Amino acid sequence: MSIMEYNGAAVVAMVGKNCVAIASDTRLGQQAMTIDTNFQKVFPVTDKTMIGMAGLATDVLTLRDRFRYKVNMYKLKEERTIEPQTFAHMVSAALYEKRFGPYFIEPVIAGMDKRNQPFICSMDTIGCINFAKDFVVAGNAGGGLYGMCESLWEPDLEPEDLFETISQALLNAVDRNALSGWGAVVHIITPDQVITRQLKSRMLDWADPTVKDKAVRYTRL
Amino acid sequence: MSDRYSFSLTTFSPSGKLLQIEHALNAVGQGVTSVGIKASNGAVIATEKKSTSPLVDTSTLEKISMICSSVGLVYSGMGPDARVLVNKGRKSAQAYRRVYNEDPPVSILVKEIASVMQEFTQSGGVRPFGVSLLVAGFDDKGPSLYQVDPSGSYFAWKATAIGKNMINSKTFLEKRFNEEMELEDAVHTAILTLKEGFEGQMTEDTIEIGIIGGGSPPTTATGEPLPFAFKKLTPSEIKDYLSNIA
Amino acid sequence: MECLMGLVGKDFVITVTDTMAIRSITVLKHDEDKTRELNPHTLISYCGEAGDTTNFAEYVQKNVKLYGIRNNIELTPGATANFVRRELADSLRTRSAYQVNLLVSGYDHKKGPCLYWIDHLSALAQVPFAAHGYCAYYCISLMDRHYHPDISLDEAMGLIRQCLEELHRRFIINMPRFVAKVVDKDGIRVIDL
Repeated sequence: MSIMEYNGAAVVAMVGKNCVAIASDTRLGQQAMTIDTNFQKVFPVTDKTMIGMAGLATDVLTLRDRFRYKVNMYKLKEERTIEPQTFAHMVSAALYEKRFGPYFIEPVIAGMDKRNQPFICSMDTIGCINFAKDFVVAGNAGGGLYGMCESLWEPDLEPEDLFETISQALLNAVDRNALSGWGAVVHIITPDQVITRQLKSRMLDWADPTVKDKAVRYTRL
Repeated sequence: MSDRYSFSLTTFSPSGKLLQIEHALNAVGQGVTSVGIKASNGAVIATEKKSTSPLVDTSTLEKISMICSSVGLVYSGMGPDARVLVNKGRKSAQAYRRVYNEDPPVSILVKEIASVMQEFTQSGGVRPFGVSLLVAGFDDKGPSLYQVDPSGSYFAWKATAIGKNMINSKTFLEKRFNEEMELEDAVHTAILTLKEGFEGQMTEDTIEIGIIGGGSPPTTATGEPLPFAFKKLTPSEIKDYLSNIA
Repeated sequence: MECLMGLVGKDFVITVTDTMAIRSITVLKHDEDKTRELNPHTLISYCGEAGDTTNFAEYVQKNVKLYGIRNNIELTPGATANFVRRELADSLRTRSAYQVNLLVSGYDHKKGPCLYWIDHLSALAQVPFAAHGYCAYYCISLMDRHYHPDISLDEAMGLIRQCLEELHRRFIINMPRFVAKVVDKDGIRVIDL
């Protein structure tokens, strides 16, 4: 058993035309047992930058807190918001600081910079950055995600098309992965707004009255 | 009487002063004059290069130092004290680059250096730095010029001077400075300011000039804009400026 | 081998813990209370390595109480859960990490009842129902099947009894006694199973 696969996760980011997208599943598991189906792995950094983390859930939470602290201090000290590129190097430095006792997460960063150019990158657990012009993936469904992105992604997708592409890539990757899935969340970052959408994937909606009808519940699955 | 309260740096005198800091300011007041001007498209710092004997090889004297590619500084006061601050400034710039992979903004570096100077007014067993600094740099917010004093306080200026001839130089700058001034003009004005009250012959070997900005920013091979870099003028470049003035 | 369960109802949280203190193959005690009250509306239940559990639970209990005394206002259950997580996370990367699993149940006067699941690695999740230990494998699926967000106390007790019955029927370990506690707007109380 690898510690990277203990809780289960799938994270992906893609570049579009004047936009970027970042998405993750929402499962929290203990190996094969699902604990929570609303566990967030993607967090806002600034109005135009987000970070997603795949790996050990405890480190996702610890690093979320650490990065929030660091970015707030940066904002106070420098009186400006951090650029996605700069934030990526900050994350890299924070991870490499623990080179010989690392945090068990692989981060994915997506954002629009000050010239509104899209930026995405991913990293390994000790902060080696992988800059990409198309897409980056992380987590248990990483292999499947690469396959999906490789076949679905194309350059210069508009925000709505990018949403469809990243959603299909993520959903179809996690459907063939036992440790990730159970709902997903997609963020589309454009120069002036972030559009966030929840995907139910194969989950049932509690608010849906027919779900309480047990027969329907099972036939639907 | 007042000496009774200057034995320890960290003791206030009854009138609420820290005398050691005022003494340090006096040391700066005896130092060689330095001037700095912020132009519309850059910044310049300049100073006299004074040697105690004609036998000293003045080409090795260096009073203007590059801290990182976006920032340079000049001091008035005690050379060895300035060297400590230059070293600390360079180190902190590299530490910043280590984390963010970019040069620190001028304001951040100035704050860092100023906080070192402040620490030396409140710690035991140390004395304040006998220098004032003029820090020139260029970042996202454009060119900037800061003065840092031994107390650790710092100010941003359009143009200023420190050292022996500070008062006269500032009066001169008040008359000469205008907001539209470009870097070329600013270098000339800086030289003219130094010339006021200059003892002896002003040559390319007796003054030092550092500039940042001017013209269009450098670019990468693919045309991406790069930040301006701080550079010291070579003796021959200074000679050109001097000959234009005369 | 231990059993913790928790479930959030309409206006209450209920937690159930087993009461055995075990060492190796011996049951040392049949009436061990595996819960601690942190403040009038927050309760933690815990299981894990013998000494670590009570030591850690009482450490956070004392600190949360101290906070209440110092500031004359109690920490909310959410703040408490995050405090507990941080303490556990800080210990995780030391030589002597606490091996404790916890459930934090509480009643927040603004947000209503809530339940937080924290494991020995200090992953934290707010959940409608949760369980720790081997019993999780039996109980989670039952709760998943029958739970709904506006479940009443009676209905919840029925579901809990179903879970315990399943444990008696299928789980190899004999757990004769459980304690159930309810947290609601009136505070914490023991409830008969």
